[in-house]
Amino acid sequence: MRTARVSVVGLAAGALILTGCSSGGGGDAGGVSKDDAAKQQIKYEFGDAKDSTGPAEPVKGAKKGGVLTVYQRDSFAHLDPAQIYVSDEGSMSTLIHRRLTSYKRDSAGKYTVVGDLATDSGTPSKDQRTWKYTLKDGVKWEDGSPITSKDIRHTFERQFAPFISEGPVFIQQWMAGASGTGYRKLLPDGPYKGDHLSDKVLETPNDKTIVFHFKDPQPDLPYALGMAGYAAVQKKGDTKEKYDKKPVASGPYKIESFKSGKSMKLVRNTEWDAKTDPVRHQYPDSHNIQFGVSFEASTKRLVSDSAENQTAVSYSNQVDASSMQSVRSDPKVKDRSLSGYQPYVGKISFNMDRLKNKKVREAIAYALPAQSLMQAFGGSGGGELAGNYLSPTVAGHTESDPYGKVENPQGDVKKAKRILKEAGKTGMKLTFAYQNSPEWSDFSIAAKDNLTKAGFDVQLKDIVTDTYYDQIGKIKNNYDMYHSSWGADWPSASTVIPPTLDGRQVQDGASNYSHYNNPKMNKEMDRISKIKDADEAAKEWGKLSDEILKKDLPDVPLMYYKQIQLHGSKVGGAVMNNVISGIDPTQLYVKK
Amino acid sequence: MLRFLVRRSLGAMVILLIISAVTFFLFYAVPRDPAMLACGKNCTPDALEVIRKNMGIDEPIPMQYWHFMIGIFAGRTFAQGACPAPCFGYSFANSDPVWDTILDRFPTTVSLTVGGAIVFLVIGLGAGMIAAWKRGTFADKLFSTGSLVLSSMQIYFVGPLVMALLVFNLGLLDQPSYVPLSEDPAGWFMGLLIPWMVIQIIFTANYTRLSRSSMIEQLAEDHVRTARAKGMSGKFVFFRYAWRGSLIPIVTIFGVDLGSLLGGAMITEWTFSLPGLGKLAVDSVANTDLPMVMGVMLFSATFIILFNVIVDAAYAFIDPRVRLA
Amino acid sequence: MTSPSQAAIAGAETPGPDGAGLNSEPVDGDKAATDQLGRSPGQLMWMRFKRDRTGVISAFVVLIMFAIAALAPVISWLYGKDPWTRYGQIRPGLLNDNAYPVKPNGGMDSEFWFGLEPGLGRDVLTQLVYGMRTSLSLAVVITILSVVLAIVIGVAGGYLGGKPDYFLGRLTDLMMSFPNQLFFVAFTPVIGALLVSPQDEMPTWLRACVLIFVMWLLGWMTLARLLRGQVLTLREREFIEAAKVAGTPPWRIIRKELLPNLVTPILVQSTYMLPNFVTGVAGLSFLGVGMQGSTPDWGRMFATGAEVYQSDITYMIFPGVAMVIFIVAFNLLGDSVRDAFDPKSGR
Repeated sequence: MRTARVSVVGLAAGALILTGCSSGGGGDAGGVSKDDAAKQQIKYEFGDAKDSTGPAEPVKGAKKGGVLTVYQRDSFAHLDPAQIYVSDEGSMSTLIHRRLTSYKRDSAGKYTVVGDLATDSGTPSKDQRTWKYTLKDGVKWEDGSPITSKDIRHTFERQFAPFISEGPVFIQQWMAGASGTGYRKLLPDGPYKGDHLSDKVLETPNDKTIVFHFKDPQPDLPYALGMAGYAAVQKKGDTKEKYDKKPVASGPYKIESFKSGKSMKLVRNTEWDAKTDPVRHQYPDSHNIQFGVSFEASTKRLVSDSAENQTAVSYSNQVDASSMQSVRSDPKVKDRSLSGYQPYVGKISFNMDRLKNKKVREAIAYALPAQSLMQAFGGSGGGELAGNYLSPTVAGHTESDPYGKVENPQGDVKKAKRILKEAGKTGMKLTFAYQNSPEWSDFSIAAKDNLTKAGFDVQLKDIVTDTYYDQIGKIKNNYDMYHSSWGADWPSASTVIPPTLDGRQVQDGASNYSHYNNPKMNKEMDRISKIKDADEAAKEWGKLSDEILKKDLPDVPLMYYKQIQLHGSKVGGAVMNNVISGIDPTQLYVKK
Repeated sequence: MLRFLVRRSLGAMVILLIISAVTFFLFYAVPRDPAMLACGKNCTPDALEVIRKNMGIDEPIPMQYWHFMIGIFAGRTFAQGACPAPCFGYSFANSDPVWDTILDRFPTTVSLTVGGAIVFLVIGLGAGMIAAWKRGTFADKLFSTGSLVLSSMQIYFVGPLVMALLVFNLGLLDQPSYVPLSEDPAGWFMGLLIPWMVIQIIFTANYTRLSRSSMIEQLAEDHVRTARAKGMSGKFVFFRYAWRGSLIPIVTIFGVDLGSLLGGAMITEWTFSLPGLGKLAVDSVANTDLPMVMGVMLFSATFIILFNVIVDAAYAFIDPRVRLA
Repeated sequence: MTSPSQAAIAGAETPGPDGAGLNSEPVDGDKAATDQLGRSPGQLMWMRFKRDRTGVISAFVVLIMFAIAALAPVISWLYGKDPWTRYGQIRPGLLNDNAYPVKPNGGMDSEFWFGLEPGLGRDVLTQLVYGMRTSLSLAVVITILSVVLAIVIGVAGGYLGGKPDYFLGRLTDLMMSFPNQLFFVAFTPVIGALLVSPQDEMPTWLRACVLIFVMWLLGWMTLARLLRGQVLTLREREFIEAAKVAGTPPWRIIRKELLPNLVTPILVQSTYMLPNFVTGVAGLSFLGVGMQGSTPDWGRMFATGAEVYQSDITYMIFPGVAMVIFIVAFNLLGDSVRDAFDPKSGR
């Protein structure tokens, strides 16, 4: 349930400031080895009590102290955990909020889901309908009061309150056994008007114990609890809407000041106890976050590595598309760069209510130039050609390529033209909606070029960045095709295939953008969701997604997103964390 | 003087009122629902209702405008809390109070503008006067031609060029950034040096041309010639008489420039990504953040009008012949 | 965008109705004076202008620029490239893995004289030529509309006087108080959204119309003010009084007596306004609210240039230098035109 958060500042091509050679263009592209794909294709395991015991494995050479400067493009719109969904807020939230479970990355790059506030990743009943968690001793809020099961109950109950609208909804839906926004009926006002969740749903028999009861087996609960959106909220300190600006911290840092759109300062939370935390560190004295620094600007600053930028980093700003050249061709800069996949798959979704003829969809699929999309995102540093719906970061990924999008990245216009002619639709009008950002504008130009040559009458419709997903999310949109990006919430295809392809999920604002509805496939999804063995489920998901792609073609996959991030030369401990799809802020330290 | 001020302020109020109404109603004509945007992806009709109410957009548009205007003078209460006058409401995009945000960004714009203005005034007037003094010489030609070429440059062209040269080729300076003067004076100065230089390059030229031509005009005026004929020294006449007279057109232009720069130097702030009013405005427009756009629009317009009044008042001080009416 | 002062300076330097352009009385008293006897003001102006070498050269440059823009399709045909084909993407070996030109200096070579656009790999020369065509056409239309509106409002205010003058004056004040950059950025998308349903593509011509409309709305005030002032003085002059006494209808007075005397300031102001509109339109494109998509546009080349300059500064040089040359030439031309009308005003 995660869409790529794209530039809010799509209005302009952005501010500048970068390094490179003034001779302009030219020369070697600088390679990024292909093997980081393999490294990233990791398995996530559920950890036991031992894995969940603090303190976290120390970072080699790390020292306490120092101030970290952090450049972020977008201000954090939400600080209330229940409203946090986008990845940049998620990164920051690992510093200030703790959850029941968390993802631990060891020095070898292996990921384990461990207990964070809880003593382990959870004890399921045999049928996986009931999950039990016990809170650790010594976990405290920033005011020194202990975190109890009452706070956790409150955390989940307030997820149902009407003003909570941005966070994840998996657990609420599981609790209510409802799809869509139907879960809200379970507790319409949240906990604020005296109603509470019954013990049949959420049980808190004592201060330490939390028991979840679901209607269906939920093998993925430990993953879901590790999402930033399910971090704990203090019952006593809950100020409802205002909590979004001033939450109570439980992590190693607390908020000293927050000026939306401008800056934020995080300082050490002295009540946080390293011994209770298997994941986080507290090395720098403070994180000074600056907002409104565009990708171009942060890249430029970090490339320059001048005095103040040596201790600078960004949680989620990437190297912008047009700076890939200068970053990748300079070995000194390359040393300070981290490259990796993002969880998103860039697709073109067909509006199946309008494009009912599969031949037409096929013609479009063959004609689209995937290469142009990659180049718009900065070449191979920004993305990789995609053959199917499952990204390399998701278990079950294969190299299948039914429409030759990897093999023939420029698109096969001749073939498309032939198919369209066979369908008797040459000259048909085709409305392609795209987000008004530099990357997608570039791609739309290339796509229109190819589609026109294949015999379509292409109408391009640019949509303002901030409303893009609202517009294409309407069922009665009048577009024939539009791009959409989707990323897994945790590395299982169960957070990719059902949300984007389950026909029962088609509604306004839902993420099944192609309105694809095939009862046979829906049934298949239900079957696979209940498979308890993760490896088997992964294989089945892979098979199903390829079948949908080949048989029905609701979307054309074009690109797996990648990114490059930079850090200053005096910043240590920078590692790419797949879960937050960026640099892990809890591992950073300042070199002396 | 008092009558002048009262009359001009009343006029200014009417103009601001019209600007606010035009902005408000035009913006609401756009088929975009800010509540829909704020409601997010787990939106339900109930939640939407609540948000509409919180934003104050559940009423008919004229009522909303009325409440908005009342809020500016008397303050009003929102779900986010009481909002004391002058209340421009809360941002639709991030729920921050608009007025606080504007006050927060204003110092950046002021630093950028005033710093740049000092540089371009000093250099521009100096060069113009030298050119007028040495009229027809090589220096004059150099300044005149140079200023003509420079004034034809655009910030979006010169900005990247200057940064390419100074920041990443020579490595002399850091990327422009804003640090409050009170926190770190040196950082403030260094951070704004490049933007100042670029503004200066473009504006100095105008002032050089202007001050040269009005200086030459003044030197030809009767009272200046008379003074010269009475045997006063050339330098004395130049500085005492001609200079003073040549200031009038410069003050006019400067007032216009400063007013509009203070209202947000959009392209400059955007080019250097400085968090001032101009950048705030561009961002708010992109986010359909009506309260913020309204706030910046009125704030900027106020400055433009204010400086027009100041310019008119300043005439009287510089040129005693001008009477305020 | 240009500083407001440029427009204002232009206004301040425009000759008044008493300027030599109106009375054919020789000013300098030199030999030229004898030649000037018995010629119309227009002929005199033309004679003076022809003698001004800078003016003639800059007029020549300006004409060439307009010719290039007008003949863009011919140039494209002769040169064998067009601004829409993505050469770099279609032909392997032109762009590298990061979508930048493989050859140094932005991919300049004997085939692509000005290099290739990073990313889409289009030809820079034809982009620039067609882009100039777009921007210059917009600017010319805006200038003409603004001048017409300024004449209407300025002359009406000045000639009618009284209440109409008061209200037109306040309208001018009001429009001048709008923060113009902010106004353009805020309202260009708004007006677009008003006219086109959110589902349809906005046609290029409509987008051009919106841009023209917005710039026009705030582009006429300086000239209108100037003209009003001049009409006010002219109104008191004998020949107008005489026409009035003779019972000439107002419309005829305006057409036959007033307008010919306003040609000078209008012409001089227009030469200052046009380059301002060119940079204004380019500024809008730079901020992302100008022409979109595959329509080549001068201003958008700066936006792209600002994105890629750290790796490919060559791309920005061509549109940048072209713009500087254009504006310098146009400003010099403006000065020369002013001097030709009014030899008194020293340069």
